[in-house]
Amino acid sequence: MEVFVVSLLNGLVYGMLLFMLASGLTLILSMMGVLNFAHASAYMLGAYFAYTISQYIGFWPALVIAPLLCGLVGAAIEMWGLRRVHRNGHIAELLFTFGLALIIEKAVQMTWGLLPVPYRVPALLDFPLFSIYGTHFPAYRAFMLLISALMFGAIWLGLTRTRIGLVIQAALTHPDMASALGHNVPRVFTLVFAAGTALAGLAGVIGGNYQVTEPAMAFTMGPIVFVVVVFGGLGSLLGCFIASILMGLIQTFAVVFDVSLADLLARFGFIVTKDTPFAEVLTVTLPRVGALLPFLMMVLILVFRPRGLMGTRDT
Amino acid sequence: MSAPAVELKAVTKSFGRTEIIRGVDLSIPRGERHAIIGPNGAGKTTLFNLISGRFPVSSGTIAVNGRSTAGLAPQEINRLGLSRSFQITSIFPRMTVFENIRCGLLWSQGYRYSFWHLLGGQKKLNDAADALLERLKLGDRRNLPAGLLSYAEQRALEIGITIAGGAEIILLDEPTAGMSNSETDAAVELIRSVSEGKTLLMVEHDMSVVFGLADRITVLVYGEVIASDVPAAIRGNAAVQEAYLGTVAA
Amino acid sequence: MSLVRRHWVWLLALVVLLAFPFLFFDWSKGRHSGFVLTLMSEIGVMAIFALSYNMLMGQAGLLSFGHAVLLGLGAYCAAHVVNLVKAGTIWLPTELVPLAGGLGGMFFGFVLGWLVTRQRATAFAMITMGLGELVSAAALMFMGFFGGEGGISIDRVMDTSLFGVAYTSPWQVYCLVLAWAFIAAMLMRLQTQTPLGRIANATRDNFERAQFVGYDPRIVRLLQFTLSGFFAGIAGGLYVLIYEIVTFDTVSAAKSANALLAVYIGGAGGFFGPILGTIVVVLLQSGVSLLSNAWLLYVGVLFIVMVMYAPGGLIGLIFMHVPIWRIGRLRELLLPYARAFPPALMVMLGFVLLVELLSFTTIGAAQGKKFAIGGNVIDTTAPLPWLIALAALVLGALWIRREARGFRERWDALIEDAKRQGVVS
Repeated sequence: MEVFVVSLLNGLVYGMLLFMLASGLTLILSMMGVLNFAHASAYMLGAYFAYTISQYIGFWPALVIAPLLCGLVGAAIEMWGLRRVHRNGHIAELLFTFGLALIIEKAVQMTWGLLPVPYRVPALLDFPLFSIYGTHFPAYRAFMLLISALMFGAIWLGLTRTRIGLVIQAALTHPDMASALGHNVPRVFTLVFAAGTALAGLAGVIGGNYQVTEPAMAFTMGPIVFVVVVFGGLGSLLGCFIASILMGLIQTFAVVFDVSLADLLARFGFIVTKDTPFAEVLTVTLPRVGALLPFLMMVLILVFRPRGLMGTRDT
Repeated sequence: MSAPAVELKAVTKSFGRTEIIRGVDLSIPRGERHAIIGPNGAGKTTLFNLISGRFPVSSGTIAVNGRSTAGLAPQEINRLGLSRSFQITSIFPRMTVFENIRCGLLWSQGYRYSFWHLLGGQKKLNDAADALLERLKLGDRRNLPAGLLSYAEQRALEIGITIAGGAEIILLDEPTAGMSNSETDAAVELIRSVSEGKTLLMVEHDMSVVFGLADRITVLVYGEVIASDVPAAIRGNAAVQEAYLGTVAA
Repeated sequence: MSLVRRHWVWLLALVVLLAFPFLFFDWSKGRHSGFVLTLMSEIGVMAIFALSYNMLMGQAGLLSFGHAVLLGLGAYCAAHVVNLVKAGTIWLPTELVPLAGGLGGMFFGFVLGWLVTRQRATAFAMITMGLGELVSAAALMFMGFFGGEGGISIDRVMDTSLFGVAYTSPWQVYCLVLAWAFIAAMLMRLQTQTPLGRIANATRDNFERAQFVGYDPRIVRLLQFTLSGFFAGIAGGLYVLIYEIVTFDTVSAAKSANALLAVYIGGAGGFFGPILGTIVVVLLQSGVSLLSNAWLLYVGVLFIVMVMYAPGGLIGLIFMHVPIWRIGRLRELLLPYARAFPPALMVMLGFVLLVELLSFTTIGAAQGKKFAIGGNVIDTTAPLPWLIALAALVLGALWIRREARGFRERWDALIEDAKRQGVVS
């Protein structure tokens, strides 16, 4: 039971982190039609910026400054890069962000080195919040939950209560609308792109010390975020939310349950031996395939629901 | 007594809460040139999209050559012998004019998804494509990427792709839209010649084209058929005049 | 004789490629340069791979981020086949091992393609990326088929050659690679001229229109994907023969990215673009990576510059000159090019210097390397080299902007003339 509660909380923390990344990606993708490959790079930049800033003036200023820096980087990318590439079509935009992701990774390697940097949880939050049956739940994770919850409150208010938010919402469900909005479309695009990047940066700030801050973090996180977006369905923030939480829970619980397909079959009286066909696939335990699960889920949803959980449109 | 080429029974189509097509019955016998007219937003193009399988119907049935098209994909309806053109020019812009036409021919000539025929050596196919290009008066544009053609030429190519497969039933969506007078005349001649002996269904705004070509005319207003008759009768129909001119007949 | 006249480009290429390694032949020892042969074999394999990628990207408009999966799975199949032949279970000539890889690639192309070709455009890109991750993760996890981290090793000397060749030397392997590269390239070239190849173009241009001429775009995509898997698998089979080992990095995202970079830098439009791109990328990879940590950065920057300024790739840039060449006035571009050259060189050197300075202060220092140009060690902590690099970059950029204006005027005038003479369509 205690394992269950802690895993549930951990899964929630990870799921919210994923949603912070995936929501920005979905917004950018749905509105601008740009599949932003550099999105996870912004996550990485957020973590590295926060690391450097926290070395000089501490974690708390970094929590604000690093996402803003990421937002600025995003705005610059949109204004001087994407807009130019835009007339060559969506594929060119996608390729542009892909090249950007490569360059950012190398640039990070060259600035901060190949090895992980010691970006740590601030001392103020470095204590177990509570423990159930001897399992600690760190205060920092609770803080992560709080930050992401606050963030979503803010986004939700922004999307439902402001004029620009309504425009963005409309463009989400009716992408053609975006072109009918009139003269400030470029500004809306820049804003959405910058906001999405800043959000990814924030995720990096709070996720970088929860996981590891290293140059490969963008390329390990990127595909999972893509899977979340595909799984949730393109153009649906709600689907994206459900998919993120689900993915977070699945990944955390997979580590806990040390079972394999063979164990399952054994319950039905079917014993897997070394000579059984596909014995290796059947006997591999769940924690070992944890990393595979998101992608397996993606394949499954594609077979049964090609548009994703709540998707309303193709591509 | 053969089945009509296209037959619609109580067809409706809704997008969300708006009902665009509200119970249309229409029967087009084989060999007829039939025009659908009506004010903007009457649902003419939507009707085409339903017949050609681009959208599924909300209710009612559509039959092509007596066969129900329910659940069929556009390509399957096409293989029943029905081919359509688009109001907004829909060609293969990066391929040459010749390739565009040849793509229209491939399926009907039985090549299917073959990756073992070399197209260069298919004399019958290539001759057919070239012959059609001549008919379309696009012979001298043969090797140009289709995206570089002028608007009228692209419209001609659009018709060319549509008829290339030798479909028995041809749906043309505003074939002369945006053309100058002389271009329209040329297009009408082209349509007349390519629809010889076939069933033609077209949406058109230009009344001279409609009355010059059609054997029968259907008037669609707000998703409903208000009249379907020979041109002379349509001309004198009070309801049609009201719909078009906005005059209250009574 | 007409055969020679029609295919002289291919024949010429074959002769050049056979003769080229002899430029590096060590006559004193009487043997080939192993490095050059391996490099050229690598180029051959990657060229097949890039061409097979172009069957998706250039021909069908499908942007895959997991194409290496087909290469790698083909390679694993070929490796297992070789080991079976070695064990005497089955018989297969060494020369046909790539075919085994091809059939493996084709099989997986069909199975995986069945999953991914339901989608196109952006969703296709995301899903192929996910699939790539799935297979790479699986490759590390399952010992039986993938051999885990160690991969599957083979011994290519099998005594089953059709021509009695032992394949003990890189030269023999190179000849085999060359033969297969030509066969595969020619088959792929021919495929573009089949009904499927053309309809793939049609679905790329306008998938909805393709439906209304009777074709199911999904089946077109699936068949194209399967065939592309066949050729990628051939590349995989050759890969196994060259390196005698196949590990999980053959299915990795980095390999997939290589194909994408090569095809786009070379130019996805034509048939020769991907080959050109492969040569550039492999040379950068093998050549620059010996000197610098940052080869991927240079490839990335080259890629972005291409995406932003030359979407047609290198081949596209070359072909832009054709109309001017046709009116016989290519010479008039010599001066503008000559004038643009110094600032371009300046920007490039400034950029490279800056990147290398940065790279040596962090990565290089960590590896205990020193930044040296021609034997002179450069102190990366001193401000002077940084200032020089920055100045070269900024001044060069300003200068090139000035030159660009003059160049553009000249260029536009020439193109205008070519248009007037009816050379440009």
